[in-house]
Amino acid sequence: MKLEFTKGSRAKTLAILTVVIMVVFVVRLFYLQVIRHDYYVAAANSEQLKQLSIPAKRGEIFAMDGTQPVKLVLNEVVYTVFADPKVITEPEEVIKTVRRVAGGNSRPNLEDLVAKKDSRYQILATKVTRKQAEMIKQQDLFGVGFQQDSQRVYPEGNLAAQTVGFVDGDGAGKYGIEGAQNDRLTGKDGMLQSLTDISNVPLTIGDKNVNTPAKNGDNIVLTIDRNVQAYTERALAAGLKRTGATNGSVMVMDPSNGKVMAMANLPTYNPGEYNKVQDIAVFNNGTVSAPYEPGSDVKTLTMATGIDKGVVQPDSTYVNTDFIKVADRTITNATKGQTGTIDFQKAMNYSLNTGFVTVAQRLGDGNNITLGARNTMYDYFYNKFHLGEITGIGVSNEAAGTVISPKQQDGGAVRYSNMAFGQGLDVTMVQMCAAFGTIINGGTYHYPSVIAGILDDTQQNFTADPAKPSEENVVRVDTSDKMRKMIHGARSAFYADGDKKGYYIGGKTGTSQTLRDGKYVDNETVGTYLGFGGAKGEMPKYVIMVQVSGKNMNLGGGEDAMPIFTDISNWMLDYMKVQRK
Amino acid sequence: MSYQRTAQFSSRRQSTNNGWNRNQNTTRFASNIKLGPVMHTVLVALMITVLGLIYLTQATRATSYDYEAQKIDSQIAELTNQKTDLEVENARLTALDNVQNSSVAKAMTTPSETNYAN
Repeated sequence: MKLEFTKGSRAKTLAILTVVIMVVFVVRLFYLQVIRHDYYVAAANSEQLKQLSIPAKRGEIFAMDGTQPVKLVLNEVVYTVFADPKVITEPEEVIKTVRRVAGGNSRPNLEDLVAKKDSRYQILATKVTRKQAEMIKQQDLFGVGFQQDSQRVYPEGNLAAQTVGFVDGDGAGKYGIEGAQNDRLTGKDGMLQSLTDISNVPLTIGDKNVNTPAKNGDNIVLTIDRNVQAYTERALAAGLKRTGATNGSVMVMDPSNGKVMAMANLPTYNPGEYNKVQDIAVFNNGTVSAPYEPGSDVKTLTMATGIDKGVVQPDSTYVNTDFIKVADRTITNATKGQTGTIDFQKAMNYSLNTGFVTVAQRLGDGNNITLGARNTMYDYFYNKFHLGEITGIGVSNEAAGTVISPKQQDGGAVRYSNMAFGQGLDVTMVQMCAAFGTIINGGTYHYPSVIAGILDDTQQNFTADPAKPSEENVVRVDTSDKMRKMIHGARSAFYADGDKKGYYIGGKTGTSQTLRDGKYVDNETVGTYLGFGGAKGEMPKYVIMVQVSGKNMNLGGGEDAMPIFTDISNWMLDYMKVQRK
Repeated sequence: MSYQRTAQFSSRRQSTNNGWNRNQNTTRFASNIKLGPVMHTVLVALMITVLGLIYLTQATRATSYDYEAQKIDSQIAELTNQKTDLEVENARLTALDNVQNSSVAKAMTTPSETNYAN
């Protein structure tokens, strides 16, 4: 049967209308779903597809406690409390609760902040702990929200502050390990890309979901022993109080491997309150960042060079007249009266400049510090002992210092005569400790290090950091044996009264003049003491270097720095359980 | 004289391909009800609807798992935060200053002499 419409009938009109409507629908849907497909997919994705950053956890910093790592720097979850003033219904209650719970972390002008009805976001309190945040949440305050954040915690307070450094408000590490190892500590944020519902809950539907986990920062384990560090800081503080010095630094190093056990600096600060510091100079680690003229400590290195080259022995003699001429300059002894024919042990004991200028001369033709002598000294000081060179210890702002080469215009005999007793060159304490360790440990230069290795995320598995290869035979073993004995002799001559009996302690004083505007001033000297300790006949267990200074203060190595060394040294013997012999 | 099979054949009884079995009629059942094109369309639409509903059910179930997973993630995060808090508390309590100021430490005395067995 053939269906027919009567011409002009309502059925026909309806049919035509239906077809037209259908055509309109089809055309419209074709336009929306095919032609505008990309636009609407993008629009849907922009609303539903969220990219969330998965923050990487900043690595923690550990110190050693004997043989066990302990946490020196941790992360703590804290919250920022904010309000939407436009929707707050109980402003008085919000102010009261935030002020009561957050206390000093709340903003002082809460009333003003909450009253800003045209604003949708006002921070009411920062660095609120999880417990405090829970207490505020329990009040169920409408219009109040929380933003999770992480901050560094320093449970040991000021301990090793300059070694550790701090993390600024932008999350960037500054100074110390935090600054130098920032990239390792930061890690890499992960990413979660997912379709989400209206509450931003990620959904597994869709084919655009991406989940790249965050790579947490390295947990760095330092070679610093917190007990040694704490005692060193206490001893230094007591020493500064006793002498009246305003600044002091101490480094304790293991001469058998170059690992730093303590780096103490005063004045200091609390890394958790770095923003309260008035003088940013306290952020610097004086043991690695402040090159200075080391003074008489260098005489040990000059003597080691002379012995190693075979031009002098501890019992070799020279005629001391308390002055010596080099080119047009006359160099005098600080301690006078030991004139006549004396040996180099005595020159070391009395720290006589003339003796070590003589060693430099004997490295040449016997009467002059020739180019050959200068080249030899430069080779030992710069190439072998690595003075004037970045050690790569791993903390920020390490300074290289300066050792003038004989090839330079001012690298002449006068310069090198001064260098023989510690003037005319700039070095850091860490360079001096490493060089000193070399001449008393059998002749091996160990690059100083403050990073032992890393702990994995479980904090159970330790991986040692690759150390720079040590350099053996920098000086001969017999040279090292003689130097140990000589330095022990220098200490025994005047400074051994405070030592624990039955141990083998050695050390050398240093009193350096201060340069101001290129000229030495008379009213300011830096006192240092550099020594070792251990059992007789064994490898020394530690090297300690002490430095004290103060503006317009004449501080001496023997009077001011040496007692601090003695204090730490005696404690170290017990702490390291060194057997008395 | 021996008999030798000259051709392979299949017994109708042995064959199962045709669906015939012993003692069964060999004629197929033919319904008198015939489905027209409209009914076919309706049935296809119904099937598509049912399949769509099944898909929706499964998708919704997957989404409900997402919410469960989200809850568990939140719990893990909360517990991790608690653990971090405890670690911080532990570090503060075992900090050298605290240990040295403890009553136990204060009661300790310095030995006059120390000897080691090894």
